[in-house]
Amino acid sequence: MRIKRSSSLLPEVRRGKPVNINVDGKPVEAYEGETVAAALLSAGIHTFRLTQKHQHLRGLYCGMGICYECLVTVNGVHAVRACVTQVAEGMQIETCKELEL
Amino acid sequence: MSEFYDLVVIGAGPAGMEAAITAAENGVKTAIIDSNPGAGGQYYKPLPGAFQVSKKGQTERNGEFLTRILEGLPVTRIYDTLTWGIFKEEDRDGWLVTLYGPAAPKQIHARTLVLANGAYDSPVAFPGWTLPGVITCGASLILVKNQRTAPGKRVLITGTGPLLLSAAAHLIDAGVEVAAVCEASHLFPRALRYGFTMLGHLPRLFEGAGYTRALLRGRTPYKTGWSIVEARGKEQVESAVIGKVDKDGYPVPGTEQVLENIDTVICGYGLTPNTGLARMIGCKMEYRQEKGGWVPVRDQTMQTSLQGVYAAGDGAGIAGAENARLEGRVAGAAAALQLDYITEKRAGEIYGQIKRELMNQRRFGELLGDLFTAKPGLISLAKDDTIICRCEEITLGEIKTAIAEGARTIGEVKMVTRVGMGNCQGRICERLVAGAIVQALAQEKATFESAGAYSIRPPLHPLPVGFLAEAGEEQSDDYAKGVE
Repeated sequence: MRIKRSSSLLPEVRRGKPVNINVDGKPVEAYEGETVAAALLSAGIHTFRLTQKHQHLRGLYCGMGICYECLVTVNGVHAVRACVTQVAEGMQIETCKELEL
Repeated sequence: MSEFYDLVVIGAGPAGMEAAITAAENGVKTAIIDSNPGAGGQYYKPLPGAFQVSKKGQTERNGEFLTRILEGLPVTRIYDTLTWGIFKEEDRDGWLVTLYGPAAPKQIHARTLVLANGAYDSPVAFPGWTLPGVITCGASLILVKNQRTAPGKRVLITGTGPLLLSAAAHLIDAGVEVAAVCEASHLFPRALRYGFTMLGHLPRLFEGAGYTRALLRGRTPYKTGWSIVEARGKEQVESAVIGKVDKDGYPVPGTEQVLENIDTVICGYGLTPNTGLARMIGCKMEYRQEKGGWVPVRDQTMQTSLQGVYAAGDGAGIAGAENARLEGRVAGAAAALQLDYITEKRAGEIYGQIKRELMNQRRFGELLGDLFTAKPGLISLAKDDTIICRCEEITLGEIKTAIAEGARTIGEVKMVTRVGMGNCQGRICERLVAGAIVQALAQEKATFESAGAYSIRPPLHPLPVGFLAEAGEEQSDDYAKGVE
């Protein structure tokens, strides 16, 4: 969820312009400067991928590009790290696709 | 034709920025590389360029100040770029640094290197730790501070160290309900020993006190000697079980409590230095628990066992951002001296100016390392069917079987089970696999040293299919020599 309130540790910010993105075919709210991971979490989407061996659900974990758990498909490109990729106008994001690594 | 530099700094956090600044100020032809879109690292991570903030905090201002100095110097800045390999160039007495990024050259040459790769959260595996909704403390801080996004509505924070308090305070300020903060270490009476050292770090204590006030305001229980023992949920975290752990980290049976309606578990069991590049090129490593695990052996000038290769900051041993800045300056000056840009006298002056403060920061780092190290017993939170290697989906049971069949080192467990062979290159599971070996072979007196570490080979990060082949075709012959 986007933090709207202003506090001493987290003074209010104005996000960038609204950006049109689609997640699994549905439009999802997003703003310039946000990462794919942040936009997905704000939309209530916590599962980003299925594992290959056991089809277990996985989502954001390390948040800094180290663990490769948050992989999604962006504009047809597999295995993009949602946590270090910023949203962009027209982005098509797919979760839980069969990933060919 | 690829570019030649006197110094290539890898990592543009506090240590890397200071190293590049110190070197460039003294005339060294320097390049700095980072995987993020700009300088700052995790500690000084700037807000996204498209965000506008009403008021900036001290840390942000410090980071911006340092970034402006760096940008005012003739340093080649290569951001949004992964460093996937470093290769020795025998004929040139230097290094070939291979890169992957949208605007990056495929390779650059370096006479000397500063490795300033920072750190990441040390993992602790428990049943349910792979469920969506279990995130690291670092992830929660980036989300809240940098993205102004709350990871959940009602969270449990578990782990060890002051970052838990920072995460809790920020989340409470963001309006998130923090059900509890479980600090796995037993802080008292141990903490009393450090009274004197603490006095030298009053600003940090006040920062800690500010966080503590936020906890009190939020009426958040801060439970020392407790840890998560299980995360439960079907498609994501729904509840969490916490329990007492003894001073070695072993769970105390019968103390479990269930926290209902938890949607996010934030785990921060200390930090692990990111040493992949140092290991890839063969820097001599040593295991130092109080520094976060395996770290490169260094001399006073931050030089590793390899001449002209320096390591600075948390990536060479956890001691915090202030320490990282000082180490970066020492490394930058040492590189400038080795490259004959400054005299020994000048290098001595630079070192002399910061020597005392460096000692001071070191002591504080050791204090934190001693108080807040994730204890070895925490490995026993994992059950036989708990995933240990998240990438290759290998369980503790499979690892124990490999050990029972004779595997004694991490390398041997890897050969049998495929742990550490996935996308993260073993960064996440290494400590857990070592812990499993130490525990299973307690009678043989196995240690983290004897369990060893994964051997790291390029590419350090997974690269798109075809990139390596294409890179190989385009490379000049120095690349071919590099990968021998």
